[in-house]
Amino acid sequence: MVQRLLVVVCLVTVALGCATHAQRPAGEVMIWHAYRGSEKDALEQVVEVIQASDPTLHIRLLALPFDAYASKLESAIPRGHGPDLFIDAHERLGGYLERGLVMPVDDLALDPARNFEPAVLDALRSGDRLYGLPLAVKCLALYVNTTLVTTMPTTLEQIEALRPRLASDQYPLAYSAADSYFHAALAHAYGSGLLDGATGQYRFVGPAAIASVERVRAMLAARTIPDEADAALVSRMFAHGRAATVISGPWLAAELASTMSYRVVPLPRVASAGGTAMVPYSTIEAVYLSARVTDHDAAARVLRSLAGIHGARVRAVVGRQVVAHRGAWSDPMLATDSFLSAFREAARRAVPMPTHRAMRVAFESASRALRRAFRGDAHVSAALLQGQRRFSDATRSEPPRRSPTLALLALGVLALALSVRGVQRARDPLVRLALRRSWPAWRWVLHAAVVLFALVVAPLFVGAVMSLYAGREGSEHYVGLAHYVDILSARGGALLATGSFYRVLAVTILWTLANVALHVGLGVALALLLARPLLRLRGVYRVLLIVPWAVPSYVTALAWKGMFHRQFGAINALLGHVGVDPIAWFSRFATAFAANLATNAWLGFPFMMVVTLGALAAIPKDVYEAAAVDGATPWQQFTRITVPLLGPSLAPAVVMGAVWTFNQFNVIFLVSGGEPDGETDTLITEAYRWAFTRQAQYGYAAAYAVLIFGILVTSTNALGRLAERVRQRGVT
Amino acid sequence: MASLTLRALRKQLGSQPILRGVDLDLRDGEFAVLVGPSGCGKSTLLRTVAGLEEPDSGSVRIGDRDVTRAAPRDRDVAMVFQSYALYPHLTVRENLSFGMRLRNEAPSTMASRVADVTSMLGLGDLLERYPRQLSGGQRQRVAMGRAIARRPALFLFDEPLSNLDAALRAQVRVEIRRMHDQLGATMVYVTHDQIEAMTLADRLVVLHAGSIEQQGAPLEVYRRPATQFVAGFLGSPAMNFVPARVSSDGQRIEAQGASVAAGPEHAGACEPGRDVILGVRPHDVRMGTVMGTAIEFVVDLVEAMGSEAFAHGTVGGVPFVARIELRVGTLAPRRGDVLPMWVAPESVHLFDPPSGHSLARTDRGANGG
Repeated sequence: MVQRLLVVVCLVTVALGCATHAQRPAGEVMIWHAYRGSEKDALEQVVEVIQASDPTLHIRLLALPFDAYASKLESAIPRGHGPDLFIDAHERLGGYLERGLVMPVDDLALDPARNFEPAVLDALRSGDRLYGLPLAVKCLALYVNTTLVTTMPTTLEQIEALRPRLASDQYPLAYSAADSYFHAALAHAYGSGLLDGATGQYRFVGPAAIASVERVRAMLAARTIPDEADAALVSRMFAHGRAATVISGPWLAAELASTMSYRVVPLPRVASAGGTAMVPYSTIEAVYLSARVTDHDAAARVLRSLAGIHGARVRAVVGRQVVAHRGAWSDPMLATDSFLSAFREAARRAVPMPTHRAMRVAFESASRALRRAFRGDAHVSAALLQGQRRFSDATRSEPPRRSPTLALLALGVLALALSVRGVQRARDPLVRLALRRSWPAWRWVLHAAVVLFALVVAPLFVGAVMSLYAGREGSEHYVGLAHYVDILSARGGALLATGSFYRVLAVTILWTLANVALHVGLGVALALLLARPLLRLRGVYRVLLIVPWAVPSYVTALAWKGMFHRQFGAINALLGHVGVDPIAWFSRFATAFAANLATNAWLGFPFMMVVTLGALAAIPKDVYEAAAVDGATPWQQFTRITVPLLGPSLAPAVVMGAVWTFNQFNVIFLVSGGEPDGETDTLITEAYRWAFTRQAQYGYAAAYAVLIFGILVTSTNALGRLAERVRQRGVT
Repeated sequence: MASLTLRALRKQLGSQPILRGVDLDLRDGEFAVLVGPSGCGKSTLLRTVAGLEEPDSGSVRIGDRDVTRAAPRDRDVAMVFQSYALYPHLTVRENLSFGMRLRNEAPSTMASRVADVTSMLGLGDLLERYPRQLSGGQRQRVAMGRAIARRPALFLFDEPLSNLDAALRAQVRVEIRRMHDQLGATMVYVTHDQIEAMTLADRLVVLHAGSIEQQGAPLEVYRRPATQFVAGFLGSPAMNFVPARVSSDGQRIEAQGASVAAGPEHAGACEPGRDVILGVRPHDVRMGTVMGTAIEFVVDLVEAMGSEAFAHGTVGGVPFVARIELRVGTLAPRRGDVLPMWVAPESVHLFDPPSGHSLARTDRGANGG
C-alpha cells in the first residue's frame, strides 16, 4: 500500500514539474549556448552586466554539450520548452529555417549595418531577412613559431624556402592537408572551391582544383609538410617546435604553453597561383531568436545588449573571441592585442562557409578525393572525378513519394488476422487457465519487460518504420520499399563497386571470419598455455592477458591507429629496425584490413581465452589419464579429447563473438576509418555514414540497419542450431 | 600377458613419504589385490605401475622390460579407473575401440575385438549410446571392456567398484573374477574393501603407510597375520586385542578376565612373564566353558544380524566383540550379563606389543609369498 502511494506521489511530482517547466514568467529570458572555458565565463559576465542594468529582466543561461546541441534545439523548441535565444554557428541556420525554429530580427529596431561587416550579415540572411546578430567570427590563420622564423612569411613559397634551414625532423609547415576544410583555403587561392553555396553544385573538379592538389603533392614530396597529419599531430608538432608554421584556428592557442613565442598572421598568398591569397572558410557565431519566444520584448532587449558593443568588449577581452562588432575594435586594449587582431584580419579575408545543406557531403567527398590523390595510387584528376561521383551519388534526390495504401491495407489484414486468432485462443479454456496460472509470474517480470520493450523492441520497430520513409526531418514521405530496392540493387551501379551493399557485405563477412578465427586461435592457444600447472607467475599472466579486454575499445582503437601512422607510428619504427621500408598502412585494402584485424584481435582474444580456461577446467583429468594409458601421445590427447570437449563450450562463445564482430563499429571507424576510400568499411560503418555524414539520410540508413538485423538474425539462428548440436555431443 | 616386478620403489611428496621401498613379484596370470586403509599408498603404487606417476627411486619391470621411466602408452598396460573415465564425446563402441584406433589397427581386428568384449560383458544394447546415457554399472562394464579390448600385458584396477551400490558391487565382483579366469591375464587390483580383497585375490598384498606389511594367499594372510595391523584389518568385525602376559610356565596366556592356552605355533616363542597382545577373532570364540580356557565376557549390547549375532562388551575392562548364537526360544543376553567363553588354541594370535609382529612360529617367513 505504501509503495503504491509512493509511486503515485512521484508521478504527480514529475507531472507538475513538467507543467511548470513549460510555462515561463514574463520578463524571463532563457539563453542556450555551447561555450566552455573562457568563452563561457565571458558570456556569463556579459549577462550579469545586462541583468544589472535592467532589473526587470530575469536572464537564465544554460550551457549544453556541443555534440547534442543541435538535436536538443531541434527537439525542444517545437515543443515549447526550448530557449528564447540561442547562440550557434551560422552554417546551421539553413536547417533551423527549414524547421521553423527561428524568427527574423531585422524588425527589432536595430541598425546592424552600422556595426557589422556586410559579408558577415549576409551569412545570416535568408531571402532578404536577417535572422541573427553576429557575435564572433572564427577562421583559420597561420601560426608562426618566432624562435624558428624571424621574418613573417607572406607567401607559401617563402614558407617552403624554410626547408633547408630546418633540421630533418622539423617541417616548415604542418596542417591537416587531407581535410577538405583546410584545403578549401588553398583551393580558393587557385580559383576553385568545394561547393557553390547558391546552387549546391560541387566545385572541386577541374584544372584549378587539380592545380591546388598538385601543389600539396609537391609540398609532400619536398617534405615541406608531414603526411597523414591530423589536428592532434599538428598541435603537438607546433607545441614541441617541430613545425615552423601551422595552419589552425583560435582553438590552438589554448593548447600552447604561455612560454611559447609565436605570432599569428593571416594565411599566406600563393605566388604560383598568381599571387592570390589563401581564403579560408569562416564560421560566424550568432545569437538567434527562437520562433517560440515567450516574452518577445524582453528577449529583444537582451539580444541587442548581447550583440552590442559592451558585450563585445567583454567577450573579446575575457573570452578571447574575435568579435564581429566593428565598434569594439576601437578600444585600445583590443586594438593592441596582436592575437585577436591577427585573427580579425584573417577573418576579413575569409569567406563565410556556405549554408547549403549539401555542404557536409561536399566536405566528405572532397576529403576522400584528397586522401586518394595524396596516396598516389590514382591520377589527381581521376581522384577528383571520383569525388564528384560520390557527391552526386550521396546527394541524389530521394525516391519518389508512394502511396502507403497497399502497406496499410496489408497491415490492416495482418492485424485483423492476429486479433481473430487472439480471440480464438482466448476462448480456449486451456489457454485461459494457463494465462491465469502464469499471471503471478508476469507481475514479477512486467516492469522489466516494459523497460526492455521501450529500450529495445520499440526502437527496432521505429527504425523499421523509418526505413520506409525518405526525406529530411519534417518533410518525410512514404516511399515503400524503395530504399531496400536501392540498397540491394547496389544503387544501380556495379554489384561489387566500392560502396555497393554486396561489396560491403563481403568485406564484413571476411572481417567476421578472420577475426573469429584469430580470436579462437589466440584465445585457445593462450588458455592451453595458462592451464599448465607448472607455469610460474600464472596469476600475473592471467591478469595481464585480460587487460586488452578491460580497456575501452575506442581507447585501444585510437592507440593502435597512432601506432600504424606511416611516419611516426611505432609499428613502422619497429619494422624499420628490421630493415623493412615504412608501410603506408591505410593506402591499400590489404594493409588497412590487417591493421583493423590486428587491433580487433588484440581486443577480442581475452574473451575466448577466458571461456576456454573455464572449459578446460571442466574436462576431468582422469579422461586424459585414461587416454594416456590407452596409448595417446600429447598431441593425440589434444586433438581427440581437448578439442572435441572444448567445442561445446566454445560454440556459443563463437556465435556471440561472431555477432559482436559483425557489428564492431569502433575499430573500423577509428582505426582505418574505412580507408582506403571506404574499402574497409563494414555494413555498420557504412550505415552510420549514410545517417550522419551524407545529408542525414535516416531512412536509407534505417533500411541498412534493418538489413543488417535480418542478416544477423538468420545467421545466428543457423549458427545457434549448429552450436547446439555441437554442445549436445560433449555433455557428460 | 606378463609378469610384474617392483623393486625398492620409493616416492615422496614434499617431505611426506608415500612409498617406502616396495618390493613385489607377480607371476604371469596372477591376480594381485593391493588392500589397505586410506592413505597407505596403494593408489600411488598402482599409478606408478601405470606410468601416471614416476617413482623417486626403484624400478618397475613388466615382463622382461624395464619401464620405470617409460610413458604410459609404451608400457602396454590397461587401467580401469574409479570414476570410469570414459570419453564423454564418444559412443560406447568408439570408447571400446579408442586405443585400437590410436594404433591404427585394421578395421577387421577392431570389429572382432569389440564383438568379443561386447559378448563377454553383455554390452550389446549399449554400443551406440553415449556415456551420459548409461547407468553406473553399465559404465563400469564399458570401462572394463575398453581395457580388455586392448589386450594388454597387464590390467590395473583402481577401486573400480567404490562408486557402485552393494548389490551391483557383488555382481560385478563376480564378473571380474570370471573375466580373469577367462583371459588368464595378470591383474593388479586396488581396493580398501576387504571382502573384494579376500574373494578376488590370488595373492593378497596388505599395504600400510607406504610399505607392504604382508602378502600371500588370502586365507593364509587371514589365518596367519604377520602383524597386528594385518590381523586387525582383515576380518569383520575386527579381531579383538587384549593386553596379556605369558604365564610363568610358558603354557598359558593370562589377562584380566581371560586365561587361554597358548597354541602350538606359539610354543617356544613365549618367555614366561613376557608381555604380549592377545588376539582373538569374534568368530572364533564359543560360549561355554572348556577346561583350560576361560574368558569372562561382560555383555554391553547385542547386535542381531539375522543369521548371527554379535555381542559387544568387555573382557577385563578391555572392549571385546564376540559372535554368539541366538537359539530360538532362549532370551538374548542382557546388559551386564557375564558369559563364559572359550577359544581353541589354534585360534589364539599373539603379538609383540612394541613392534606388532606376530609371535607365531611359521615355516615360511612372515613376508613370504
